[in-house]
Amino acid sequence: MSNESRSNLVLGIFFAVFALLLIFVWIPLDTDTGLIEKVRRQVTIGDALAPTVAGIFLLIGGLILIVFERKAADQPEIDPVNLGFMAVVFVLLAASFLVMRYGGPALVALVNLTRETPLEYRLLRDSAPWKFTGFFFGGTLMIGGLISLVEGRVTPRAVLIGVIAVLAMIAVYDLPFDDLLLPPNGDV
Amino acid sequence: MGTLDYIWAGVLAVFLGPELFSIFGVPVPVTIVMIFAGFLLGIAVGATPGLAGPIAMAIALPILISIFGYTPDALLPVMGFLIGVMKGATIGGAVPAILFNTPGTPDAYMTTLDGYPMTRKGQAKKALRVAHLSSVSGDTFSDMVLFICAPFLALLVEGYLDLPEKTALLILSLSFIAAVIGGSPAKGLISTGLGLLFAYVATGEDFYPRLSLDSKVLAQGFPLATAILGVLIVGAVFKELTDLWREKRESGALVGTVKDSGDQRLHMAEIRRLMPHIGRSAVIGTAIGALPGIGSTLAATIGYTVGKARYQRTKSPEEPEFGKGAPEGIAATEAANSSVSGANLIPVLSLGIPGNAAAVFLILAADSIGGFNPGPSVFRFTADAVNTELVIAFGLFTAMVVANVLNWTIGGVFMRSMGVMTRIPKQVLLPTVLLLTLTAIYVQETRMDAIWFTLGFGLLGYAMRVVAISPLPFVIAFILGGKLEESARQAFASTGGDPWFLFTHPIAAVFMALSVGVILLTARNNRARAARAST
Repeated sequence: MSNESRSNLVLGIFFAVFALLLIFVWIPLDTDTGLIEKVRRQVTIGDALAPTVAGIFLLIGGLILIVFERKAADQPEIDPVNLGFMAVVFVLLAASFLVMRYGGPALVALVNLTRETPLEYRLLRDSAPWKFTGFFFGGTLMIGGLISLVEGRVTPRAVLIGVIAVLAMIAVYDLPFDDLLLPPNGDV
Repeated sequence: MGTLDYIWAGVLAVFLGPELFSIFGVPVPVTIVMIFAGFLLGIAVGATPGLAGPIAMAIALPILISIFGYTPDALLPVMGFLIGVMKGATIGGAVPAILFNTPGTPDAYMTTLDGYPMTRKGQAKKALRVAHLSSVSGDTFSDMVLFICAPFLALLVEGYLDLPEKTALLILSLSFIAAVIGGSPAKGLISTGLGLLFAYVATGEDFYPRLSLDSKVLAQGFPLATAILGVLIVGAVFKELTDLWREKRESGALVGTVKDSGDQRLHMAEIRRLMPHIGRSAVIGTAIGALPGIGSTLAATIGYTVGKARYQRTKSPEEPEFGKGAPEGIAATEAANSSVSGANLIPVLSLGIPGNAAAVFLILAADSIGGFNPGPSVFRFTADAVNTELVIAFGLFTAMVVANVLNWTIGGVFMRSMGVMTRIPKQVLLPTVLLLTLTAIYVQETRMDAIWFTLGFGLLGYAMRVVAISPLPFVIAFILGGKLEESARQAFASTGGDPWFLFTHPIAAVFMALSVGVILLTARNNRARAARAST
């Protein structure tokens, strides 16, 4: 945080421009009714009004940042190193959830290579251990990966914590309830 | 039914509700057990740095709903559990602040100033006793104010405010929250605007889901849980992970532990000395808590500052200063931050406007289960037919009293045994909390889109924290967005299509003037402060 930072000004300009685009471009193009509508000789509020109010909040906020808070003390400084770390975290999360989504079907496809009558994951998604495979591998990758990222090294301990945490979550969310579906079994 | 009948029905709904088990033939009602369980969990999460009440509420909610289902019978056990968590987390936050100089919750920061020096002097247990006494006293006082004010305020709102006034009141609340949270009205307005914008995606009355970019994924809009948990919990986890990674790179030295020595009990004479500090801070915390959006951190700061000024005038020379291990410093802080929690429920129960994260989760629970819509209409004392929502409201008050009794009786013992929670490494805790939260979302929504939405909202929450935009106005605006539009539509129709309905009704016009005034006044004050700082 510093007095030198111009982050408030940049933020103010960004949101003021975004609000103008929202009010004059996005809302008119992406709503079917206007601010006020006349339906069967009755005047009603259209679907565009409420988002326009949201846009006005953003516009006023942006303008106050530019006019009143441009030189505010303690403006945050954006650290590109932190943002880089966050980007890596997001890639890891995306990879984990892709493994979670496709891990089960992929395992079934692998098993099918050795079988004459192929299995179908969709039919197995309610039976153990198949229903846990995606969640197990994706969850372990996520927890173990995040611990390793923060610690700066991959350790068997991180993977073990991931395995234990995922097994504990299966025990909490799945074993006691018949009606709860762990990811990704509601989608497949 | 008369007023007393309703209160009694609420009490009975808690104590004579469905039985979970019996001890020696005495039935133990499920709501009591859930309050107790929530209370213990709350102390544990409050005592764990990196966790807080809202995280526990987020993770527990889908499990609770699976257990109790979507019937009105589920309301009291589920909301009782959440109230237990809220109460427990309030006292738990002081544990790591006192023992390890690490506040378990942000509002316990001021507790470290005197609590940790007391620990270093070998008076850790005594400091925890002071924190417990002050916290529970403040909390109980605040609850009593809630019980009296919420129904009264609700009746006032229902009696005097019509649709245009209610619409203007919602706008005033949003402006007020934007102006006071986070110290920057501009950033508060941006946070509110974003919350409203996301709330309005794919909602509305027209056949085409507005602002959905013609995408099937967006056509159903954003589920409430994805926005709330994404911005509040996932965003916080992302920020903490980044800070932790940063800290790890610049790691500091560990501080050794000091064994307790001397008398750790709290004597009557000491309690008498602490009481004025507790009383003063309880009033400060309750007054601040009753205003939507003002958090317990501000209450703690004001309570501490006022207590310090008073203490310096009255203390004897041999007593430690504030900040150097004065029990009065802990009392002033803990009584103030704990007395916010009860009063924070005044706006949610009387106006339907959530003022803090705990209230947001109570609304989420009520919204998920159905059959209870927090707001002024709850307090309709109908004589001919039973207003079940009112019975639930008095049931919630009863649950708070039960949680307070637990707090007074066993809270201190549990609190003092929670030091061990601070030893769980954050780098293990945060990823686990993240997967737990995302799993909780999935079991509720059962589609991967919900997880992607939550991660997207998490990134938004992270970005907001990086540029110092408070996420709380976003969440409150997201919750109130639909209500604001519906109320405006009804007001517009009821005034015969008068486009100026917010300005032609006197009370509504006053609310609108206050909405503009509060933003302008805070913006002007901030500019003056910035000018003073730069000279």
